[in-house]
Amino acid sequence: DSHIQYERVGADVTMKCGSMDWDSAVTWTANGTDIDESHLNGSYLILKNVDLTQSGQYSCYEGSSWHLKYQTYLRVGIPPKEPVLMCRSNNYPKGFYCSWHLPTPTYIPNSFNISVIHGTKEMVCEKDIYPKNRCHIRYLQLFSTVKYKVTLTVTNALGKNSTTLTFDEVAIVKPDPPESVVAKPVPNNPRRLEVSWQNPSSWPDPESFPLKFFLRYRPLILDQWQHVELSDGTSHTITDAYAGKEYIIQVAAKDNDIGTWSDWSVAVHATPWTEEPKHLTTEAQIT
Amino acid sequence: GDSWGIFTFLCAALCNLPALPALNCTEELGAGQSIQKTYDLTRYLEHQLRTLAGTYLNYLGPPFNEPDFNPPRLARAERVPSATVDLDLWRGLTDNARLAANYRAYSRLLCYLRALDGQAGTAELRHRLGHFCSSLQGLVLSIAGVMSSLGYPLPAGPAGPPAGPPGTPVAPNDFLKKMDDFWLLKELQTWLWRSAKDFNRLKKKVPPAVVTLRLEARGF
Repeated sequence: DSHIQYERVGADVTMKCGSMDWDSAVTWTANGTDIDESHLNGSYLILKNVDLTQSGQYSCYEGSSWHLKYQTYLRVGIPPKEPVLMCRSNNYPKGFYCSWHLPTPTYIPNSFNISVIHGTKEMVCEKDIYPKNRCHIRYLQLFSTVKYKVTLTVTNALGKNSTTLTFDEVAIVKPDPPESVVAKPVPNNPRRLEVSWQNPSSWPDPESFPLKFFLRYRPLILDQWQHVELSDGTSHTITDAYAGKEYIIQVAAKDNDIGTWSDWSVAVHATPWTEEPKHLTTEAQIT
Repeated sequence: GDSWGIFTFLCAALCNLPALPALNCTEELGAGQSIQKTYDLTRYLEHQLRTLAGTYLNYLGPPFNEPDFNPPRLARAERVPSATVDLDLWRGLTDNARLAANYRAYSRLLCYLRALDGQAGTAELRHRLGHFCSSLQGLVLSIAGVMSSLGYPLPAGPAGPPAGPPGTPVAPNDFLKKMDDFWLLKELQTWLWRSAKDFNRLKKKVPPAVVTLRLEARGF
């Protein structure tokens, strides 16, 4: 009968041919290919210093009859390194989410367990279906003085590792970037650009928890950004644009009082209005 | 001696807030603008507190000044008013209840903070605390002003901490006293975060124009 065997990269692996005696005559195959006798110690298969390429199906057949006596699936991998964990509230005051990943692959299956402790209470972080490796929590109370402690443990057949984050409710507030950023030229105004945007749709209550915004813009030909901070409203008119130059514009959002700035929105491009060149009568036509 | 008795006496004396000047009907300041000023004050205080708390926690020393320090709450710490509240409850607060909660909280926090000032170790710390207490008193008065201009009565009762049953000990040892100080600063910080949100809500609900009309009517 077959089963799975997990081994560390660099380990020495000894495989026994089921219940066969050490001095029985056997043939081992790896993924169907015969293995040379030099790797055998009696009927045992010795694999020294295994690497990832040696993962596969190993089968052992009795010498003369070719009966299958033993089969195993060897998976070579590594124990998990410390996972990377991030928690963020982009929907304050509803709650927050945590997401995680491994910095390097283990090459074998891993399972993740997350625990969230608030004071003396253990809270349940509901796993998201998509994306994987993410879970969310609803706040039961607001304005808490007690920190949240989130511990993520990753386990596989070769070991386990964990990491912990401790934070205040307000420290992890970071909205999603503003949406639907639009920049338009203003007719008859060669130095103006009208920019408008919307609150991120994930922010549930902009009435009670207003956002403020940070706008940055520059002509494509320059590296230096100009910045404007706006404490309310979702539009702004740039009045010092260089005539005729194409601009790149982005907006970021932040809760008025707590947390950190969002990432920059998708960049939009716009060029201020320019006058249409008038038709010139050429000298040639007149003479 | 009866340290608790002395403490409550000191507190009552320190917390004797001056009588509020009656709002003059010719005052230009509508409640809307008062709310804005109060909001601005909470932001200012929150900023001040960051520096003050940093200095004070360093003075207390480890583990209080460690960023991850996350101790369990001891029952005694419950004397300090908590800003923590159920979300739906907070949303459903009437303007009066919202303002009153802020007023009560800061009045008591001011009292505790002034007691801290009296015992603080270094001159620099006492100076900072003193300055912060003045600003905090300004906030309490500002909230009282808003309540008054909206016609709400100021919450009754002593401005100081409620006198516990005789025998309630002030912190029995140095470490627990430091814990009390730690939680006081934490609650103060959390209240300032909360108040910004409280006054944001109030801002939306009380536009200046409405109150100006009310004042004019009273002029008759």
